[in-house]
Amino acid sequence: MELTRAKIRDLRKALDAKEIGAAELCKEYLKQIEEKDGRLLSYITVTKEKALSDAENAQKIIDAGKASALTGIPLAVKDNICIDGVRTTCASRMLENFIPPYNATVIEKLNEQGYVLLGRASMDEFAMGGSTQTSAFAKTKNPYDLERVPGGSSGGSAAVVAASLAPAALGSDTGGSIRQPSSFCGVTGIKPTYGRVSRYGLVAFASSLDQIGPICNDARDCAIMLNAICGYDRHDATSAKVDTPDFTEKLGQPIKGMKIALPKEFYEGVDDNVRACVTDAAKELEKQGAVLVECSMPGLKYAIPAYYLIACAEAASNLSRFDGIKYGFRGEGRTYEELIRDSRSKGFGEEVKRRILLGNYALSSGYYDAYYKKALALKQEIIKEYNDIFEQADVILTPTAPTPAYKIGAQDNDPVKMYQADICTVTVNIAKLPGISTTCGYTADGGLPIGMSIIGKRFDEATVLQVADAFEQGFVPVSPKL
Amino acid sequence: MAIELKTIEHLCELSKLNYDEAGLQKVMGEMGDIIGLMDEIKSFDLTYDDTKDGNEIRFGDTREDVAEESFPAEKLLSNAENTDGCYVVPKVVE
Repeated sequence: MELTRAKIRDLRKALDAKEIGAAELCKEYLKQIEEKDGRLLSYITVTKEKALSDAENAQKIIDAGKASALTGIPLAVKDNICIDGVRTTCASRMLENFIPPYNATVIEKLNEQGYVLLGRASMDEFAMGGSTQTSAFAKTKNPYDLERVPGGSSGGSAAVVAASLAPAALGSDTGGSIRQPSSFCGVTGIKPTYGRVSRYGLVAFASSLDQIGPICNDARDCAIMLNAICGYDRHDATSAKVDTPDFTEKLGQPIKGMKIALPKEFYEGVDDNVRACVTDAAKELEKQGAVLVECSMPGLKYAIPAYYLIACAEAASNLSRFDGIKYGFRGEGRTYEELIRDSRSKGFGEEVKRRILLGNYALSSGYYDAYYKKALALKQEIIKEYNDIFEQADVILTPTAPTPAYKIGAQDNDPVKMYQADICTVTVNIAKLPGISTTCGYTADGGLPIGMSIIGKRFDEATVLQVADAFEQGFVPVSPKL
Repeated sequence: MAIELKTIEHLCELSKLNYDEAGLQKVMGEMGDIIGLMDEIKSFDLTYDDTKDGNEIRFGDTREDVAEESFPAEKLLSNAENTDGCYVVPKVVE
């Protein structure tokens, strides 16, 4: 069977029509992984035995005529989402041998559908980074150019989908970690509204910003995945008690008359290729009947410090649990204090340590008001500015990242440059909004994918998916040659 | 922006992290640059109003305060380095 950019819904049809068995499909993906992932390094762990066992179970469900949308569909899962009995490393030495004793809620939901776990996708350590080069185990490369980064932190999840080493994957997004790698790897990824998908079992980075979401070949597959994983969960106090629509319902509906806002600040200072592609995409949507609305978001210029102060403050608190005692890497020391400090110093990588230091700086006496509380004020301002824009528009269209995928090593010694590259995505997390990135073009010289983001009102993922799908119907994606 | 040695040492203490001399010098430089970026926020002229935060994250209802079955202790201890029915740490004499 042809697996190149195979869609979930096409695989569903093939499985239900018995054109292929679940085990055979699983083996085909495992073969692709074996042949190609040595160069790509997108998986930290390939769960071959579990995959075959999952496929066998899935086939029984299919044979009984009780298949759901994801029964027998092979998926990759970012390595920060807990799976009972399956090593979950967060790409960190700290959790190198950690085997969770429970499933994340999203995994329980996928299990109910009978999905097949192919393996654990690589990521930046503890989801801190935009390149997947801070991973302690698999520094993933971009399938379109092996000398470039796949983005991050869900770079492994985006790369496996782009390289057809899985038809879809789960990622997580704290400041752009689903959308930016989706842009760099030429695939489609959605960060749902905060509270739409349970965070129970997601290893916490910044609890007020983290959200799990799917990365797929297109918006239609994202809708299928989102249908499977969303919903209220009593295990997550921030899980929202809201209606969960069928996210496929609005797909294919015309966007005529829909108002799409273009905040000018998002288009300033971005690469010329990026600006041209996203502007052309806006014109394409206009041709389909959408109305483009010029607008402004002045608070964007403060978004990077606001985001990093909030995210790192929460990270410093969340990561304080890693002490080398209960689980995780254990260092050496003659005293309790020495043991904890040695465990953390050797278990965490450099970027994680920098963010813990920054978080504690922002929260410490004498700096709290000047940094952390100021960042919270900015958060309120950004929410207000988004609300103002949504008074006059249904969705917002922006570039997903200021540049296409950059060369490996280009930002290694410059954390400030690395942080500034998140400018197009972080406000969506701050304001708890849903945002999707889909490919809108390729660079003229290197053929690197360029993504655009469609941002919606809270809990209006259906409209975000509808607009992305409307664009994708007239767009021909180019697959990487691996 | 330069950051003082005593500040970075204080942060290492709060963060429970060690650096050797070369590492400390390197991270001092990096943190100076990062805090320089964070300082941009100081020119933003608004004050945080904590009365507005109620609508941003809607916390769900707390569950009934009744005992429920939890994970077996053996499973929870499976990731600890040494176990004897509890977390075992190295012998420490301070």
